Amino acid sequence: MGTQNSIEINSLIPVPLKEKLLQRSSDIWNRQEVFYSNEWIKIKAPSGTGKTTLTHILYKLRFDYEGSVLWSNKNIKDISDKELAQARQQKISIIFQDLRLFQNLTARENIELNRVLQEPFYENRVIDEMATRLGIAHILEQRAGLCSYGEQQRIAIIRALVQPFDFLLMDEPFSHLDKENITIAAALITEECRKRNAGFILTDLDDDDHFPYTRKLNL
Amino acid sequence: MLDILLRKLIKTASGRTRFVMAVMGLSVALLLILAAVQVQANYNELLNGKTNQDSTANFLVVNKEVNNKTLNATTLSDDELKKLQQQPFIDAVGNISPGRFKASIESYTQNFPFKTDIAFESVPNAFIDVNNEDWKWDENSSFIPMIIPNMFLDIYNFQFSVSQGYPQITPAALKTVSFKVNMAAPNGSVQSYTGRIVGFSDRISSVLVPQSFMDWANQHYATQQTSKPSRVVIRTKDPGNPALVSYLKQNGLTADADKTRFSKYRQIVNAVVNVSWITGAVMLVFALLIFTLFIQLTIASCKEEIALLITLGAAPKQLQGFLMKRFFPSNIAITLLSLIVISILQFLLYGILQKQNIYVSAYLSYYTFAVAGIVLLALWVLNYTTINKYIKVNNK
Repeated sequence: MGTQNSIEINSLIPVPLKEKLLQRSSDIWNRQEVFYSNEWIKIKAPSGTGKTTLTHILYKLRFDYEGSVLWSNKNIKDISDKELAQARQQKISIIFQDLRLFQNLTARENIELNRVLQEPFYENRVIDEMATRLGIAHILEQRAGLCSYGEQQRIAIIRALVQPFDFLLMDEPFSHLDKENITIAAALITEECRKRNAGFILTDLDDDDHFPYTRKLNL
Repeated sequence: MLDILLRKLIKTASGRTRFVMAVMGLSVALLLILAAVQVQANYNELLNGKTNQDSTANFLVVNKEVNNKTLNATTLSDDELKKLQQQPFIDAVGNISPGRFKASIESYTQNFPFKTDIAFESVPNAFIDVNNEDWKWDENSSFIPMIIPNMFLDIYNFQFSVSQGYPQITPAALKTVSFKVNMAAPNGSVQSYTGRIVGFSDRISSVLVPQSFMDWANQHYATQQTSKPSRVVIRTKDPGNPALVSYLKQNGLTADADKTRFSKYRQIVNAVVNVSWITGAVMLVFALLIFTLFIQLTIASCKEEIALLITLGAAPKQLQGFLMKRFFPSNIAITLLSLIVISILQFLLYGILQKQNIYVSAYLSYYTFAVAGIVLLALWVLNYTTINKYIKVNNK
């Protein structure tokens, strides 16, 4: 990797939460911070401190904030639709808290879609391998809408891992999983990030040691 | 693979009936427009095509209307002739020179006696449709060639011979008959020449002699000096041209009504073509509107799917490409289908008209293809801009 990819925030503060957030101290909000793609970052965020808001702002899903977000030194408000699609296909992958699967597609189709959106990073048999590891091989042909939250969460994890990325954004990625499944899923994510030399930003409510984090921040 | 998945996500089923309506509207509109173009092309071909050139149709004998006002004053002035020549729909004007001398013809033989006073006219050779080596005259010629209207022979064969008990006569037989032509000089002396009929024509209803004879005879036997013509023959590409007919009418001129009556048919064809055009164009506008709405509706009904696709990193280009593939092929199909239908109709028309000795092409004209291409291009632009616009709207 020639140049180190980074996500930088400057005096970032979401407008709807502005007054509330300015009253408390934070490692993120209204500060200058750079996350590099060789870092595994945990952001601990109590309820209502803008955890999901932060993830969405970093992924350029919402714009109601003050300050700025830079992807590899470029303000994301200035990047075009084309560049945005390019970045989401190649640089930044995401696991949403609310999962965001296509309810009418099967589990496999949901994963496959993100695999073929760009030049595939993996062959499609990798989907089966990952699904087997996470214990959802049997529901691959089932409509996502009919799967349990736990299953949907694992589908969302695999979907995020079949594409190339330098950064993986995870918003409470294990909220619907039991301890055993969390361990398996975290191991898979660790492998995949190492394989790509990628960093991640994980937000969650509590402390945990699912990953060997390089930095821990409080929102 | 991506396309298969997108097809599952972006369903068009919600607007099935609208889609059928849009397709039907578009088809009918295209059919009307292409038919209008093809009919116009056929009509032009009929007017200008070599195979349809009718020897009499393009030549009109024009003279002033004879009424109380113009009685004995039907000569055409130089001005009037010049104006006639300048009209865009008139290719050439030939003066019909009248003989200004008294003449009569009579038979040499008592088997078939006749004698009648007669007057000759002549026109430049370019306006005559009888190509005959006998059709020439100089002072050493042994006879004076003449061209008479077919109608004269018909009058003889079907009226005169029947009523008088004379035998009927064929055109070929008549051409072999020589007769005496008596010409009276101003001083009263009469000189006789031999005349013979060398051809028949429908173009000019007059007894025609070669221009050279007419000039010579007028010089030697003329009793009056005016040489202004009262009739001219004009050549025109389209005797049915409404502009020609209205010009003649405005200037108090008349022409062979039979030929200009074509003008009425022409106006009807024009009206039909125009109605077809306008109906087609209006329908096209509505069909395009429905089609646009259909695209909008499809995109709107898949709003969430499209939003999530873009969230996951689908490029607007990918979605546009997919949607174009979804909508545009139906347009190509409609256009091709319309062309095929029009082709079949044209082929049938060709067969029907051929039986009546009217020749139109069996195939579609280039114009029809060109118009189909233009409409298709317009459809492409419309598809593209609509998709572009609504994906953008969706994206924000």
